[in-house]
Amino acid sequence: MEPVQLPENKNTGCQSGHCSCGKKKEDGFEQVMSKPSDRRDALKKLTLGLLTGVGFTSTSCSVTAGDAKKEKAQLNWEEFFKGNYQLMTDDEKNSTVKRLERLYELNNGRKINVSAQGPMKDVLYGYAFNISKCQGYMDCINACVQENNQDRNSQMQYIRIHEHKNGSMDFELADDNFYHEVPAAGHFYIGTQCFHCENPPCVEVCPVKATWKEKDGIVVIDYDWCIGCRYCMAACPYDGRRFNWATPEVPADEVNHNQHYLGNRLRKKGVMEKCTFCIQRSRNGKSPACVEACPTGARIFGNLLDPNSEIRWVLANKKVFRLKEDLGTEPKFWYFMD
Amino acid sequence: MILHYSCSSSHQHDEQHDKVHGPLANRLRAYTDSIEYEKSSLDAMQQVKLVLAQIHDTVSVLLPERTSMIRSYPCSNCHTQPLAKLSAGRKADERKSHWDIAIIHGSAEVMNCQTCHDEKNMNELVLLTGNAILFDESFKQCRQCHSTQYADWVGGSHGKRLGGWLPPRIMNTCVSCHNPHKPAFESRWPSRLNTSSLTE
Repeated sequence: MEPVQLPENKNTGCQSGHCSCGKKKEDGFEQVMSKPSDRRDALKKLTLGLLTGVGFTSTSCSVTAGDAKKEKAQLNWEEFFKGNYQLMTDDEKNSTVKRLERLYELNNGRKINVSAQGPMKDVLYGYAFNISKCQGYMDCINACVQENNQDRNSQMQYIRIHEHKNGSMDFELADDNFYHEVPAAGHFYIGTQCFHCENPPCVEVCPVKATWKEKDGIVVIDYDWCIGCRYCMAACPYDGRRFNWATPEVPADEVNHNQHYLGNRLRKKGVMEKCTFCIQRSRNGKSPACVEACPTGARIFGNLLDPNSEIRWVLANKKVFRLKEDLGTEPKFWYFMD
Repeated sequence: MILHYSCSSSHQHDEQHDKVHGPLANRLRAYTDSIEYEKSSLDAMQQVKLVLAQIHDTVSVLLPERTSMIRSYPCSNCHTQPLAKLSAGRKADERKSHWDIAIIHGSAEVMNCQTCHDEKNMNELVLLTGNAILFDESFKQCRQCHSTQYADWVGGSHGKRLGGWLPPRIMNTCVSCHNPHKPAFESRWPSRLNTSSLTE
C-alpha cells in the first residue's frame, strides 16, 4: 500500500521524525483519537460521545439484554471507531472483516464471506471494449447488478450502454434508453463504467481520503470512511460514480455472499460506490462479471504488465482510443474496433 | 535566435505529447518479461475437459473438448453409405433427415454439407484439401475463409476467455459461440431495460 500523507500537526512534538521521541503508529485510531483539540472541539466531541456512548452502554451493560444483543453492541462499537482501511495493519483488516461477517450473521442469520485480499504482485488491470462486437444485449448489466449487490430499488447500475448512430460519437446524441430489438440497423453500442484512471481526479478531490488507487490499479472506496459529499462524482469526467440516496436493498436470497471489503460488500445510505473491476473476482484470477456474461466477447480484461496477455495484444495490434484522452486522466479502459 | 526558438518549441511539443500519451504507455512498454503467477486459470476449470490446440510454435490455447461428445450417438451409425446413395434410397413421402438444419452460411454455390463434413467418415470433419480433422480442430476449418477473425482470435481480440484472466489461455472455440450452420448473431430484445425506461 502506498504511504498516506497525513496532515502534520504543527503544535505537537518534534518535526524531524528522526529522533526516538516517538513516530506515531499509523493505525488510524491514533490519528483520530489522540488529536489535540481546543475547548470548543472537546466539548462538541464529548457531547457526541456521550450520546452514542449512552446508547451503546445501555445495551452492552444491561442485565436484561441477551448475549447476542450485547455482542452486537460491542461489534457495532468497534466498527464505529475503526480507522481508514488504508491505515489498517493486516491484523486490523482481518478483524474488521471478521466483525462484518459476524454482524451480518447476527442481523440476518446467514453467513457471508468478506475478504481483505490485497493486490497480486506485478499486476495492473486493464480493460478493452470492442465497439464492433457489442450488440446492446445488456447481459453485462444483469451480471454486474447480481455480482455486486447493487440496490434493486433504485436500479443502481455501474455500466451504461449507449446507442450511437453510425458516424457519430457524440454522447449528447446517444440514446441511453433504447427500447427495441438490438442491434438496431445503422447503430453501434458503447459501454461505459469506471475507467480506473491512472491519474484519477476523483481521488484527488476526496476530502477524507476515502477513495484511492490500489497497487493493481483498481480505484476503490472505503464505504465506512466515505462521508457522502459527492465531490468525486462531480470530479469524474466519465460518469463513473454512483451515490446511494437510500439504504440499498437486496433481497436476502439474492445477496452474493462472496464479498470483498473494497468491493461488493453491502453498502449503506449516503455513500459512493462504483465499478471495482469486481475486485472480489479479479484478485482471485477470475474475470469481472461483465466480461464473463458478455455473449459477444466484446469485453477483454487482463494484466497490462504481462507482455503475453490479451489486453497487451489488443493495445499493440488494434487501433485503440480512450474517452477524453486530452484530460490526461489515463483511463485503463480502451475502446477498439475490428 | 531562430534556431533557439525552434528547438524550444519542439521540446515543448514533446512534453505535450508525453503528457497525453505518455506515462502509462511508457510504463507498459518497459514490461517485457513474462510474469509468474501463483494461481492459474485451470484452478476454476477442473470440471471441464480441455484439449490443447497448438496454433504455432509459440502460441497454444486450451479449448473445451468436443470430439468425445459424438460417442454417445456416432454419425456413422446411420451414415454407412455415401450421401448420394443414402438420399437416393429415400421414399418420396419420407421426411428428409436433418430437416431442421438449414445452412445460412455463405451461399449454396460455395457451401454444402460436404464442405465441412467428411463424406467418407461422418464422425470427422474435412478441410478443403480433403484432409480429415477431428471435431476438436474445427477452428482449422473456419480459418480457411475467415483469416482475419482467426488472427484476432489467436491474438486475443476475438472470442472469449474461459476460467478468468490468468494464464494459460482457455478459449471458446469458434463453434462455442457461432452455430456453424447459421453463424451470425441474431437480433433480440435486450435482457433488461435501462433504468429510466422502467420507471417512466
